[in-house]
Amino acid sequence: MRVSQLTKEFMKEGRSESCPVIDMHAHLGPYQGIYFPNPTSEDMIRTMDRCGVKLAVSSSHASLIDTKANLEMAKVVKKYPDMFRAYWVINPNYPERTKDEVAHFSEMEGFVGFKFLSDYHKYPITSPRYEPALKYADEKGLLVLMHTWGNSPYDSPSLVEKLAEEYRNAKLLMGHSGYGEWEKAIQVGKDYPNVYLELCAAYTVNGVIEWMVKEAGSQKILFGTDLPWFDPHYGIGCVLFSRITDEDRHDILHRNAEKLIKPHLRTSAR
Amino acid sequence: MKFFDCNMSFGTSMIRPIRYAETAQNLLEEMDYCSIDEALVYHARQRDDSPVIGNDMLLNEIEAFNRLHGTLAILPLQTEELGTMETIVRKMKERNIRAFRAFPAEHRYLMTRTSLAPLYDLMVERNIPLFIDITQSCGGISGWHLVSTILSEVPDLTLVVTEHGPWGHDRYFRPLIEKHENLHLDTSRYELDGGITDFCKKYGAVKLLFGTGYPKWNPGGPKLTLAGADITTKERRKIASGNLERLLRRVKM
Repeated sequence: MRVSQLTKEFMKEGRSESCPVIDMHAHLGPYQGIYFPNPTSEDMIRTMDRCGVKLAVSSSHASLIDTKANLEMAKVVKKYPDMFRAYWVINPNYPERTKDEVAHFSEMEGFVGFKFLSDYHKYPITSPRYEPALKYADEKGLLVLMHTWGNSPYDSPSLVEKLAEEYRNAKLLMGHSGYGEWEKAIQVGKDYPNVYLELCAAYTVNGVIEWMVKEAGSQKILFGTDLPWFDPHYGIGCVLFSRITDEDRHDILHRNAEKLIKPHLRTSAR
Repeated sequence: MKFFDCNMSFGTSMIRPIRYAETAQNLLEEMDYCSIDEALVYHARQRDDSPVIGNDMLLNEIEAFNRLHGTLAILPLQTEELGTMETIVRKMKERNIRAFRAFPAEHRYLMTRTSLAPLYDLMVERNIPLFIDITQSCGGISGWHLVSTILSEVPDLTLVVTEHGPWGHDRYFRPLIEKHENLHLDTSRYELDGGITDFCKKYGAVKLLFGTGYPKWNPGGPKLTLAGADITTKERRKIASGNLERLLRRVKM
Protein backbone atom coordinates (compact mmCIF):
# COMPACT_ATOMS: atom_id res chain seq x y z
CA MET A 1 0.00 0.00 0.00
CA ARG A 2 1.48 3.33 -1.02
CA VAL A 3 -0.39 5.68 1.30
CA SER A 4 -0.80 4.57 4.90
CA GLN A 5 -4.03 4.74 6.84
CA LEU A 6 -2.47 7.32 9.12
CA THR A 7 -1.54 9.52 6.18
CA LYS A 8 -5.04 9.21 4.72
CA GLU A 9 -6.55 10.20 8.08
CA PHE A 10 -4.36 13.29 8.45
CA MET A 11 -4.94 14.34 4.84
CA LYS A 12 -8.70 14.04 5.28
CA GLU A 13 -9.22 15.24 8.85
CA GLY A 14 -6.07 17.25 9.53
CA ARG A 15 -5.54 15.20 12.68
CA SER A 16 -5.69 11.66 13.97
CA GLU A 17 -7.46 10.32 17.03
CA SER A 18 -5.16 7.32 17.13
CA CYS A 19 -2.01 9.39 16.74
CA PRO A 20 -2.16 12.43 19.04
CA VAL A 21 1.00 14.46 18.43
CA ILE A 22 3.36 15.77 21.12
CA ASP A 23 5.47 18.78 20.17
CA MET A 24 8.74 18.60 22.11
CA HIS A 25 10.17 21.84 20.73
CA ALA A 26 7.87 24.83 20.93
CA HIS A 27 8.06 28.48 21.93
CA LEU A 28 5.57 31.26 22.70
CA GLY A 29 5.06 34.93 21.87
CA PRO A 30 6.46 37.34 19.26
CA TYR A 31 10.13 37.35 18.26
CA GLN A 32 12.66 39.58 16.55
CA GLY A 33 13.07 38.39 12.96
CA ILE A 34 9.68 37.02 12.02
CA TYR A 35 6.00 37.90 11.69
CA PHE A 36 3.79 35.39 13.52
CA PRO A 37 0.06 35.27 12.75
CA ASN A 38 -0.48 33.05 15.81
CA PRO A 39 1.91 33.96 18.65
CA THR A 40 -0.20 33.73 21.83
CA SER A 41 -0.92 30.66 23.91
CA GLU A 42 -4.57 30.81 22.80
CA ASP A 43 -3.50 31.05 19.13
CA MET A 44 -1.19 28.11 19.64
CA ILE A 45 -3.95 26.03 21.22
CA ARG A 46 -6.16 26.69 18.18
CA THR A 47 -3.36 25.51 15.91
CA MET A 48 -2.69 22.48 18.11
CA ASP A 49 -6.36 21.49 18.03
CA ARG A 50 -6.49 21.90 14.25
CA CYS A 51 -3.46 19.63 13.81
CA GLY A 52 -4.15 17.10 16.55
CA VAL A 53 -1.26 18.18 18.78
CA LYS A 54 -2.21 17.27 22.34
CA LEU A 55 0.73 18.79 24.18
CA ALA A 56 3.53 21.27 23.48
CA VAL A 57 6.68 21.67 25.55
CA SER A 58 7.70 25.30 25.19
CA SER A 59 10.19 27.97 26.13
CA SER A 60 8.91 31.50 25.62
CA HIS A 61 10.79 33.70 23.16
CA ALA A 62 11.13 36.35 25.84
CA SER A 63 12.91 33.88 28.12
CA LEU A 64 15.52 33.25 25.42
CA ILE A 65 16.55 36.86 26.00
CA ASP A 66 15.81 37.41 29.70
CA THR A 67 15.50 34.33 31.89
CA LYS A 68 13.19 36.19 34.28
CA ALA A 69 10.57 35.65 31.57
CA ASN A 70 10.70 31.90 32.23
CA LEU A 71 7.94 32.64 34.71
CA GLU A 72 5.67 33.47 31.74
CA MET A 73 5.68 29.81 30.78
CA ALA A 74 4.87 28.81 34.36
CA LYS A 75 1.73 30.94 34.09
CA VAL A 76 0.81 29.41 30.73
CA VAL A 77 1.26 25.86 32.06
CA LYS A 78 -0.82 26.74 35.11
CA LYS A 79 -3.57 28.18 32.89
CA TYR A 80 -3.51 25.34 30.33
CA PRO A 81 -2.14 22.28 32.18
CA ASP A 82 -3.57 19.90 29.61
CA MET A 83 -1.86 21.59 26.68
CA PHE A 84 1.56 22.87 27.80
CA ARG A 85 4.72 21.92 29.63
CA ALA A 86 7.85 24.06 29.72
CA TYR A 87 11.62 24.18 29.53
CA TRP A 88 13.52 26.59 31.76
CA VAL A 89 15.90 28.58 29.55
CA ILE A 90 19.48 28.90 30.78
CA ASN A 91 21.28 31.97 29.43
CA PRO A 92 25.02 31.56 30.00
CA ASN A 93 25.54 35.28 29.54
CA TYR A 94 24.09 35.70 33.04
CA PRO A 95 25.86 32.94 35.00
CA GLU A 96 25.10 34.59 38.32
CA ARG A 97 21.44 33.76 37.75
CA THR A 98 21.91 30.12 36.80
CA LYS A 99 22.83 28.81 40.26
CA ASP A 100 19.75 30.39 41.79
CA GLU A 101 17.49 29.26 38.95
CA VAL A 102 18.68 25.67 39.32
CA ALA A 103 18.25 25.82 43.10
CA HIS A 104 14.63 26.85 42.73
CA PHE A 105 13.87 24.62 39.74
CA SER A 106 12.03 21.96 41.74
CA GLU A 107 9.57 24.57 42.99
CA MET A 108 8.50 25.51 39.49
CA GLU A 109 5.67 23.24 38.44
CA GLY A 110 5.27 22.32 34.81
CA PHE A 111 8.94 22.45 33.82
CA VAL A 112 10.36 19.19 32.46
CA GLY A 113 13.94 20.40 32.13
CA PHE A 114 16.17 23.04 30.58
CA LYS A 115 16.57 24.71 27.20
CA PHE A 116 19.96 25.81 25.79
CA LEU A 117 20.22 28.16 22.78
CA SER A 118 23.98 28.20 22.44
CA ASP A 119 24.27 29.35 18.82
CA TYR A 120 22.50 32.56 19.82
CA HIS A 121 23.88 32.92 23.36
CA LYS A 122 27.42 32.36 22.00
CA TYR A 123 28.68 29.95 24.64
CA PRO A 124 29.37 26.31 23.73
CA ILE A 125 27.18 23.71 25.39
CA THR A 126 30.37 22.36 26.97
CA SER A 127 31.00 25.69 28.75
CA PRO A 128 31.25 25.51 32.56
CA ARG A 129 28.44 28.05 32.58
CA TYR A 130 25.99 25.28 31.73
CA GLU A 131 27.37 22.87 34.35
CA PRO A 132 24.96 23.66 37.22
CA ALA A 133 21.96 22.95 34.99
CA LEU A 134 23.51 19.86 33.42
CA LYS A 135 24.51 18.38 36.76
CA TYR A 136 21.04 19.00 38.16
CA ALA A 137 19.39 17.53 35.06
CA ASP A 138 21.66 14.50 35.28
CA GLU A 139 20.90 13.99 38.95
CA LYS A 140 17.14 14.21 38.40
CA GLY A 141 16.92 12.63 34.96
CA LEU A 142 15.51 15.83 33.44
CA LEU A 143 15.24 16.76 29.78
CA VAL A 144 17.71 19.20 28.23
CA LEU A 145 16.60 20.54 24.84
CA MET A 146 19.56 22.03 23.02
CA HIS A 147 19.44 23.98 19.79
CA THR A 148 21.99 22.04 17.73
CA TRP A 149 23.39 22.84 14.29
CA GLY A 150 25.87 21.13 12.02
CA ASN A 151 29.51 22.25 12.39
CA SER A 152 28.57 24.92 14.92
CA PRO A 153 31.33 25.92 17.35
CA TYR A 154 28.63 26.17 20.02
CA ASP A 155 26.31 23.18 19.64
CA SER A 156 27.43 20.72 16.96
CA PRO A 157 26.65 17.01 17.27
CA SER A 158 30.28 16.42 18.29
CA LEU A 159 29.82 18.73 21.27
CA VAL A 160 26.61 16.90 22.19
CA GLU A 161 28.65 13.70 22.14
CA LYS A 162 31.06 15.21 24.69
CA LEU A 163 28.15 16.00 26.99
CA ALA A 164 26.69 12.52 26.48
CA GLU A 165 29.98 11.00 27.61
CA GLU A 166 29.76 12.92 30.88
CA TYR A 167 26.05 13.09 31.59
CA ARG A 168 24.49 9.65 31.21
CA ASN A 169 21.21 10.20 33.06
CA ALA A 170 19.99 13.54 31.69
CA LYS A 171 17.89 13.19 28.55
CA LEU A 172 19.76 15.17 25.88
CA LEU A 173 17.46 16.34 23.07
CA MET A 174 19.31 17.48 19.96
CA GLY A 175 17.00 20.24 18.73
CA HIS A 176 17.02 20.36 14.91
CA SER A 177 19.10 17.14 14.97
CA GLY A 178 22.37 19.01 14.37
CA TYR A 179 20.93 20.35 11.11
CA GLY A 180 23.15 19.59 8.15
CA GLU A 181 25.69 17.38 9.92
CA TRP A 182 23.35 14.44 9.62
CA GLU A 183 25.79 11.55 9.68
CA LYS A 184 27.40 12.66 12.94
CA ALA A 185 24.08 13.58 14.55
CA ILE A 186 22.59 10.19 13.69
CA GLN A 187 25.69 8.42 15.03
CA VAL A 188 25.44 10.29 18.34
CA GLY A 189 21.72 9.58 18.55
CA LYS A 190 22.39 5.90 17.88
CA ASP A 191 25.37 5.45 20.19
CA TYR A 192 24.08 7.15 23.35
CA PRO A 193 20.89 5.84 24.96
CA ASN A 194 20.10 9.24 26.51
CA VAL A 195 20.50 11.27 23.29
CA TYR A 196 17.48 11.93 21.05
CA LEU A 197 17.16 13.43 17.56
CA GLU A 198 14.52 16.17 17.55
CA LEU A 199 13.08 16.88 14.12
CA CYS A 200 12.16 20.59 14.08
CA ALA A 201 13.37 22.05 10.74
CA ALA A 202 15.32 18.84 10.06
CA TYR A 203 12.15 17.19 8.76
CA THR A 204 12.14 19.50 5.74
CA VAL A 205 15.22 17.83 4.26
CA ASN A 206 14.02 15.10 1.94
CA GLY A 207 15.17 11.64 2.98
CA VAL A 208 16.64 12.54 6.34
CA ILE A 209 13.81 10.98 8.37
CA GLU A 210 14.25 7.65 6.57
CA TRP A 211 18.00 7.86 7.24
CA MET A 212 17.45 8.50 10.95
CA VAL A 213 14.94 5.68 11.28
CA LYS A 214 17.19 3.25 9.44
CA GLU A 215 20.35 4.07 11.41
CA ALA A 216 19.25 5.29 14.84
CA GLY A 217 15.77 3.75 15.00
CA SER A 218 12.41 5.46 15.30
CA GLN A 219 12.52 5.21 19.10
CA LYS A 220 15.31 7.81 19.18
CA ILE A 221 13.42 10.47 17.24
CA LEU A 222 11.16 13.21 18.64
CA PHE A 223 8.78 15.59 16.92
CA GLY A 224 9.01 19.39 17.31
CA THR A 225 7.92 22.47 15.39
CA ASP A 226 9.25 25.68 16.99
CA LEU A 227 5.55 26.68 17.20
CA PRO A 228 4.47 29.50 16.70
CA TRP A 229 7.08 29.38 13.92
CA PHE A 230 6.08 26.37 11.87
CA ASP A 231 2.68 24.91 11.10
CA PRO A 232 2.65 21.46 12.77
CA HIS A 233 1.08 20.10 9.58
CA TYR A 234 4.31 20.83 7.74
CA GLY A 235 6.40 18.63 10.02
CA ILE A 236 3.69 16.00 10.42
CA GLY A 237 3.37 15.83 6.62
CA CYS A 238 7.11 15.24 6.31
CA VAL A 239 6.87 12.35 8.78
CA LEU A 240 3.78 10.92 7.08
CA PHE A 241 5.22 10.99 3.55
CA SER A 242 8.60 9.53 4.53
CA ARG A 243 9.16 5.86 3.62
CA ILE A 244 8.78 4.50 7.13
CA THR A 245 6.08 2.40 8.81
CA ASP A 246 3.07 3.67 10.73
CA GLU A 247 4.66 2.17 13.87
CA ASP A 248 7.69 4.39 13.25
CA ARG A 249 5.35 7.37 12.78
CA HIS A 250 3.61 6.68 16.09
CA ASP A 251 7.01 6.45 17.83
CA ILE A 252 8.13 9.78 16.38
CA LEU A 253 4.91 11.74 16.70
CA HIS A 254 3.97 10.80 20.27
CA ARG A 255 5.12 7.51 21.84
CA ASN A 256 8.74 8.49 22.50
CA ALA A 257 7.69 11.85 23.93
CA GLU A 258 5.11 10.22 26.19
CA LYS A 259 7.80 8.01 27.69
CA LEU A 260 10.14 10.94 28.25
CA ILE A 261 7.77 13.38 29.88
CA LYS A 262 5.61 10.99 31.86
CA PRO A 263 7.95 10.86 34.90
CA HIS A 264 8.01 14.65 35.06
CA LEU A 265 4.31 15.38 34.89
CA ARG A 266 3.02 16.85 38.11
CA THR A 267 -0.34 17.59 36.60
CA SER A 268 -2.06 15.22 34.22
CA ALA A 269 -1.68 15.77 30.50
CA ARG A 270 -4.69 15.47 28.26
CA MET B 1 -8.06 17.46 -5.23
CA LYS B 2 -5.52 17.76 -8.01
CA PHE B 3 -1.95 18.68 -7.02
CA PHE B 4 0.13 20.35 -9.75
CA ASP B 5 3.62 20.94 -8.38
CA CYS B 6 5.29 24.06 -9.81
CA ASN B 7 8.73 23.26 -8.44
CA MET B 8 10.23 19.82 -8.96
CA SER B 9 13.52 18.69 -10.36
CA PHE B 10 15.15 15.42 -11.36
CA GLY B 11 18.47 14.18 -12.70
CA THR B 12 21.92 13.70 -11.24
CA SER B 13 23.25 16.88 -9.68
CA MET B 14 26.76 17.87 -8.67
CA ILE B 15 25.90 17.73 -4.97
CA ARG B 16 23.96 14.56 -4.25
CA PRO B 17 20.70 15.10 -2.38
CA ILE B 18 19.88 12.49 0.27
CA ARG B 19 16.98 11.29 -1.88
CA TYR B 20 16.44 12.11 -5.54
CA ALA B 21 14.96 10.94 -8.84
CA GLU B 22 17.61 10.16 -11.43
CA THR B 23 15.21 9.95 -14.37
CA ALA B 24 11.84 11.35 -15.35
CA GLN B 25 10.37 7.89 -14.77
CA ASN B 26 11.83 7.86 -11.24
CA LEU B 27 10.29 11.28 -10.64
CA LEU B 28 6.88 10.00 -11.68
CA GLU B 29 7.25 7.18 -9.15
CA GLU B 30 8.03 9.75 -6.44
CA MET B 31 5.02 11.80 -7.52
CA ASP B 32 2.82 8.72 -7.33
CA TYR B 33 3.97 8.02 -3.76
CA CYS B 34 3.05 11.58 -2.77
CA SER B 35 -0.14 11.71 -4.89
CA ILE B 36 1.11 14.61 -6.98
CA ASP B 37 -0.69 14.59 -10.31
CA GLU B 38 1.43 16.83 -12.55
CA ALA B 39 4.59 18.87 -12.21
CA LEU B 40 6.45 21.73 -13.82
CA VAL B 41 10.01 20.46 -13.80
CA TYR B 42 13.62 21.20 -14.57
CA HIS B 43 16.60 18.89 -14.92
CA ALA B 44 19.48 19.24 -12.43
CA ARG B 45 21.85 19.64 -15.39
CA GLN B 46 19.98 22.79 -16.46
CA ARG B 47 21.33 24.34 -13.27
CA ASP B 48 24.61 22.49 -12.68
CA ASP B 49 25.75 22.32 -16.31
CA SER B 50 25.43 24.64 -19.30
CA PRO B 51 21.77 25.24 -20.16
CA VAL B 52 22.75 24.26 -23.70
CA ILE B 53 23.25 20.72 -22.39
CA GLY B 54 20.62 20.77 -19.66
CA ASN B 55 17.72 22.16 -21.69
CA ASP B 56 18.04 19.41 -24.29
CA MET B 57 18.42 16.74 -21.61
CA LEU B 58 15.19 17.93 -20.02
CA LEU B 59 13.25 18.02 -23.27
CA ASN B 60 14.40 14.54 -24.26
CA GLU B 61 13.68 13.04 -20.83
CA ILE B 62 10.15 14.37 -20.42
CA GLU B 63 8.99 13.90 -24.00
CA ALA B 64 7.14 10.67 -23.28
CA PHE B 65 5.41 11.84 -20.11
CA ASN B 66 2.41 14.13 -20.33
CA ARG B 67 2.31 14.64 -16.53
CA LEU B 68 5.65 16.48 -16.69
CA HIS B 69 5.86 20.01 -18.08
CA GLY B 70 9.24 21.51 -18.83
CA THR B 71 10.90 24.84 -18.17
CA LEU B 72 13.81 26.24 -20.18
CA ALA B 73 16.81 27.74 -18.40
CA ILE B 74 17.68 31.18 -19.79
CA LEU B 75 20.95 32.91 -20.66
CA PRO B 76 21.62 36.35 -22.15
CA LEU B 77 21.13 36.02 -25.90
CA GLN B 78 24.29 38.00 -26.67
CA THR B 79 26.50 34.91 -26.42
CA GLU B 80 24.15 33.04 -28.81
CA GLU B 81 24.58 29.79 -26.83
CA LEU B 82 20.83 29.23 -26.80
CA GLY B 83 20.47 30.34 -30.43
CA THR B 84 18.41 33.28 -31.59
CA MET B 85 15.08 34.45 -30.25
CA GLU B 86 13.44 32.71 -33.20
CA THR B 87 15.01 29.35 -32.42
CA ILE B 88 14.02 29.62 -28.77
CA VAL B 89 10.41 30.43 -29.65
CA ARG B 90 10.31 27.64 -32.22
CA LYS B 91 11.63 25.14 -29.69
CA MET B 92 9.08 26.25 -27.13
CA LYS B 93 6.25 25.88 -29.62
CA GLU B 94 7.42 22.47 -30.81
CA ARG B 95 7.95 21.08 -27.30
CA ASN B 96 5.04 22.91 -25.65
CA ILE B 97 7.27 24.75 -23.17
CA ARG B 98 5.47 27.49 -21.29
CA ALA B 99 7.87 28.67 -18.59
CA PHE B 100 11.45 29.79 -18.05
CA ARG B 101 13.82 29.34 -15.11
CA ALA B 102 16.74 31.52 -14.16
CA PHE B 103 19.92 30.34 -12.42
CA PRO B 104 22.01 33.55 -12.55
CA ALA B 105 24.35 32.46 -9.75
CA GLU B 106 25.47 29.25 -11.45
CA HIS B 107 25.36 30.67 -15.00
CA ARG B 108 26.91 34.04 -14.11
CA TYR B 109 24.86 36.78 -15.72
CA LEU B 110 23.05 39.86 -14.54
CA MET B 111 19.27 39.90 -14.44
CA THR B 112 19.09 43.42 -15.82
CA ARG B 113 17.36 44.68 -18.94
CA THR B 114 20.80 45.34 -20.39
CA SER B 115 21.47 41.60 -20.26
CA LEU B 116 18.01 40.15 -20.81
CA ALA B 117 15.82 42.77 -22.53
CA PRO B 118 14.74 40.66 -25.55
CA LEU B 119 13.87 37.70 -23.31
CA TYR B 120 12.09 39.90 -20.77
CA ASP B 121 10.09 41.49 -23.60
CA LEU B 122 9.18 38.04 -24.92
CA MET B 123 8.05 36.95 -21.45
CA VAL B 124 5.86 40.03 -21.00
CA GLU B 125 4.37 39.96 -24.52
CA ARG B 126 3.53 36.26 -24.35
CA ASN B 127 2.79 36.00 -20.61
CA ILE B 128 5.55 33.46 -20.08
CA PRO B 129 6.25 33.04 -16.36
CA LEU B 130 9.82 33.13 -15.07
CA PHE B 131 10.71 30.95 -12.07
CA ILE B 132 13.57 31.78 -9.74
CA ASP B 133 14.42 30.43 -6.31
CA ILE B 134 15.16 32.85 -3.51
CA THR B 135 18.70 31.59 -2.96
CA GLN B 136 19.75 32.93 -6.36
CA SER B 137 22.09 35.91 -6.63
CA CYS B 138 23.88 37.97 -9.26
CA GLY B 139 26.03 41.05 -9.43
CA GLY B 140 26.30 41.26 -5.65
CA ILE B 141 22.58 41.22 -4.94
CA SER B 142 20.48 38.32 -3.83
CA GLY B 143 17.20 37.19 -2.35
CA TRP B 144 14.35 39.67 -2.14
CA HIS B 145 16.63 42.53 -3.16
CA LEU B 146 17.22 40.70 -6.44
CA VAL B 147 13.48 40.05 -6.86
CA SER B 148 12.74 43.70 -6.18
CA THR B 149 15.36 44.77 -8.71
CA ILE B 150 14.01 42.46 -11.42
CA LEU B 151 10.46 43.71 -10.92
CA SER B 152 11.57 47.34 -10.85
CA GLU B 153 13.11 46.85 -14.27
CA VAL B 154 10.33 44.62 -15.66
CA PRO B 155 7.18 45.46 -13.69
CA ASP B 156 4.84 43.46 -15.93
CA LEU B 157 6.86 40.25 -15.71
CA THR B 158 5.07 37.18 -14.31
CA LEU B 159 7.62 36.12 -11.73
CA VAL B 160 7.31 33.05 -9.50
CA VAL B 161 9.67 33.02 -6.52
CA THR B 162 10.25 29.56 -5.10
CA GLU B 163 11.57 28.20 -1.81
CA HIS B 164 11.34 31.50 0.02
CA GLY B 165 12.40 29.91 3.26
CA PRO B 166 10.81 29.50 6.66
CA TRP B 167 12.73 32.06 8.72
CA GLY B 168 10.25 34.90 8.51
CA HIS B 169 10.06 36.16 4.94
CA ASP B 170 6.64 37.84 5.11
CA ARG B 171 8.17 41.19 6.02
CA TYR B 172 10.26 40.93 2.85
CA PHE B 173 7.70 39.71 0.36
CA ARG B 174 4.42 41.31 1.43
CA PRO B 175 5.43 44.83 0.28
CA LEU B 176 6.46 43.34 -3.08
CA ILE B 177 3.24 41.32 -3.36
CA GLU B 178 1.24 44.50 -2.80
CA LYS B 179 3.23 46.43 -5.38
CA HIS B 180 3.60 43.86 -8.17
CA GLU B 181 0.43 42.25 -9.47
CA ASN B 182 2.25 39.44 -11.30
CA LEU B 183 4.51 38.32 -8.47
CA HIS B 184 3.69 34.81 -7.24
CA LEU B 185 5.17 32.57 -4.54
CA ASP B 186 5.42 28.82 -4.31
CA THR B 187 4.46 27.14 -1.05
CA SER B 188 7.37 24.71 -0.78
CA ARG B 189 8.83 26.44 2.28
CA TYR B 190 5.85 28.50 3.45
CA GLU B 191 5.93 26.71 6.80
CA LEU B 192 4.84 29.66 8.92
CA ASP B 193 2.01 28.64 11.22
CA GLY B 194 -1.10 30.33 9.85
CA GLY B 195 0.94 31.76 6.98
CA ILE B 196 -1.14 30.52 4.05
CA THR B 197 -4.39 31.34 5.86
CA ASP B 198 -3.25 34.85 6.78
CA PHE B 199 -1.90 35.48 3.28
CA CYS B 200 -5.16 34.39 1.64
CA LYS B 201 -7.24 36.59 3.93
CA LYS B 202 -5.23 39.62 2.91
CA TYR B 203 -4.33 38.96 -0.72
CA GLY B 204 -6.59 36.12 -1.85
CA ALA B 205 -5.34 32.78 -3.10
CA VAL B 206 -4.29 33.68 -6.65
CA LYS B 207 -0.65 34.48 -5.90
CA LEU B 208 0.29 31.20 -4.25
CA LEU B 209 1.30 28.09 -6.21
CA PHE B 210 1.69 24.65 -4.71
CA GLY B 211 5.32 23.57 -4.89
CA THR B 212 7.49 21.06 -3.08
CA GLY B 213 11.07 21.86 -4.07
CA TYR B 214 11.69 18.14 -4.61
CA PRO B 215 14.29 16.60 -4.35
CA LYS B 216 15.82 18.98 -1.82
CA TRP B 217 12.74 19.24 0.37
CA ASN B 218 10.25 16.69 1.67
CA PRO B 219 7.03 16.94 -0.40
CA GLY B 220 4.87 15.83 2.54
CA GLY B 221 5.31 19.16 4.34
CA PRO B 222 3.75 21.46 1.74
CA LYS B 223 1.11 18.84 0.93
CA LEU B 224 -0.35 18.50 4.41
CA THR B 225 0.12 22.22 5.14
CA LEU B 226 -2.05 23.13 2.16
CA ALA B 227 -4.55 20.34 2.85
CA GLY B 228 -4.96 21.54 6.44
CA ALA B 229 -4.89 25.31 5.93
CA ASP B 230 -7.92 27.20 7.24
CA ILE B 231 -9.03 28.42 3.79
CA THR B 232 -11.98 27.65 1.53
CA THR B 233 -12.03 24.63 -0.77
CA LYS B 234 -12.02 27.00 -3.73
CA GLU B 235 -8.88 28.73 -2.45
CA ARG B 236 -7.21 25.39 -1.75
CA ARG B 237 -7.90 24.18 -5.31
CA LYS B 238 -6.51 27.38 -6.77
CA ILE B 239 -3.25 26.96 -4.87
CA ALA B 240 -3.04 23.20 -5.44
CA SER B 241 -3.35 23.41 -9.22
CA GLY B 242 -5.68 26.12 -10.54
CA ASN B 243 -3.28 29.05 -10.35
CA LEU B 244 -0.46 27.27 -12.16
CA GLU B 245 -2.85 25.95 -14.80
CA ARG B 246 -4.13 29.50 -15.32
CA LEU B 247 -0.60 30.89 -15.67
CA LEU B 248 0.35 28.24 -18.21
CA ARG B 249 -2.94 28.56 -20.10
CA ARG B 250 -2.54 32.27 -20.68
CA VAL B 251 0.89 31.84 -22.31
CA LYS B 252 0.62 32.91 -25.95
CA MET B 253 2.87 30.68 -28.06
